[in-house]
Amino acid sequence: MLALDLFVNGLIIGLYYALMAVGLSMIFGILKVVNFAHGEFYMVGAYTYTLISLNLGVPPWLALPTAALAGAAIGWLTERWLMRPLYTGYGSWGLMKDEYAVVVTFGLSLLMINLFDKVIGPYPMRGPALWDVSRLRIGPFMMSGQKVVTAVLAIVLLVGLALFIKRSLWGRQIQAVAQNRLGASIAGIDTGRASSIVFMASGVLAAVAGALLAPVINPAPDVGIFPAVKSYVIVVIGGMGSIPGSILAALLLGVLESFAAVYLSYDYRDTYGLVLLILILMFRPQGLFGERSREV
Amino acid sequence: MNTPQHPNLHSSKLRNELWLSLLVLGVLAVLPAFVQSNYWLGVLIVSMYFAIIASGWNLLAGYAGQFSLAPAAFAMLGGYSTALFAYHLQAPLWIGLPMAAIIPGLVGLVLGRIVLRLSGAYLALTTLSFAEILRLVIYNSIEFTRGDQGLTVPSLLDDRVAYYYLFLVALALVVGLIYWLLRRPMGRFLQAIRDDEIGAASRGVDVLRYKTLAFLISCAICGFAGGLYGTFARLVSPELGLIAQTGLVIAMVVIGGMGTLVGPLIGALLVYTASEVLRDVGNIQMIVFAFLVIVFARYFREGLWGLLRRSMLRRALAHRKEA
Repeated sequence: MLALDLFVNGLIIGLYYALMAVGLSMIFGILKVVNFAHGEFYMVGAYTYTLISLNLGVPPWLALPTAALAGAAIGWLTERWLMRPLYTGYGSWGLMKDEYAVVVTFGLSLLMINLFDKVIGPYPMRGPALWDVSRLRIGPFMMSGQKVVTAVLAIVLLVGLALFIKRSLWGRQIQAVAQNRLGASIAGIDTGRASSIVFMASGVLAAVAGALLAPVINPAPDVGIFPAVKSYVIVVIGGMGSIPGSILAALLLGVLESFAAVYLSYDYRDTYGLVLLILILMFRPQGLFGERSREV
Repeated sequence: MNTPQHPNLHSSKLRNELWLSLLVLGVLAVLPAFVQSNYWLGVLIVSMYFAIIASGWNLLAGYAGQFSLAPAAFAMLGGYSTALFAYHLQAPLWIGLPMAAIIPGLVGLVLGRIVLRLSGAYLALTTLSFAEILRLVIYNSIEFTRGDQGLTVPSLLDDRVAYYYLFLVALALVVGLIYWLLRRPMGRFLQAIRDDEIGAASRGVDVLRYKTLAFLISCAICGFAGGLYGTFARLVSPELGLIAQTGLVIAMVVIGGMGTLVGPLIGALLVYTASEVLRDVGNIQMIVFAFLVIVFARYFREGLWGLLRRSMLRRALAHRKEA
């Protein structure tokens, strides 16, 4: 029974991870850069949710969409202010494209951590739960209401995102931009808008993940660092830019950590991902589900 | 578009930077005659510690275009390499200090060998994960590393002024080593890899070998700085490897001028002494520096040194026109 419990718990943790990692993976797939401030999108979501529901007395289920909006806003701002030169081009590239993106998003991450630390304070807060049921029986499993809500919401969001990208017009434009930015712009697609949408979607997913975890993680300025590190690991394991790969890798990592925390050591639960990452890089550098990319 | 530079012009630019670096080092050499307070001597020593790390990181990121996000983690590893030898084996520092360069260098070799085959963002992602997880392991291995209490390290010298000159000599050696490397074919290869990796490979440059070599040297320099710092502070702790410390190093290089010999020196000295001043204003150092990093990367990509050089060039041109 313990093994099955661990498995289900691992899957739920994996769904949290997937919410984080998919946004990062999307940005990589479309702009070919890594957003090192991704953990701070998560932090913004956790804080928005907690502060709004605690200070303004807004019920948590209304605070959640507000957190999503905050995530979208921060994603939009990042794209408009910092990412635009990546594809509108510079007068001169003193730094190369990848290097620019690393420096500028890493700087943004530090800026946000320290700004929140100064404005709100370094002390962790405690967010309210969306569904305050601590013991819920579903079949043979006992779990907290918050976990059930998280799992359901994560699945809804991920399926919704997949449908959006596959079916909607904007989604198809995003796919086109991912395949060939120049070609897409020749075909009349507004590539800047497509990038904005991707960044906003990524911000929403991360912010919702942060809000959902607010009752567990106790929002603090540096709370996004480890989830972001996990997402980086997941994105590489899953194959950079592959959304299904990221989801599967996230579930895999959740289950692996859940078992290793019990059977190996709880203190080192955050290190198993790195071990897996190094193994993957050694034997299958394109990731579990990635294809070797072709450059045109 | 990057304008192709004439090779002679390039080497004269590097030589100018060497003269400027020597000027900075010379100013540092006479400073103790004016700075009497132990506190400010300490600030200058720590800023030289950062200047060593920044120079090491700049060799890899600025000249070779490979973005490691773990310079502070390798400095922490170097500090712990010295400290563990001293604490558990009572090894003298002439064994422990070289270990501060050797062990991070070897770890860098292994990690680089695995990651550097892949291009682009992989190195940044893996080194950031490595940095956080290394810190976590040190933090949690309490029996071995005493966790967040840190490890005590024996001191190398008693006198603070002597320590000041020790750091100055170490910094001069590192700057000299980097200048020497850049003058050699390896320096040209690294810059070719940075500017066009595929192009460099097609001209017969062994890309993986030179990237790995640069990573190894950079990690060893950072580790050595950490070891030296440990003996100065007489304590190493996981805080040496915080992401914010890496952020500080990147801020120094980006603000000073990336991919230049003198940029990291100017950046480290300015940023660290400014951070001491800003600490009194109200602990807003990291907010200011992170903001400056973004603004410099977004609008002034050549850093302070680049801005200075450009304004000097403009003045020289104006003079020539008048004559």
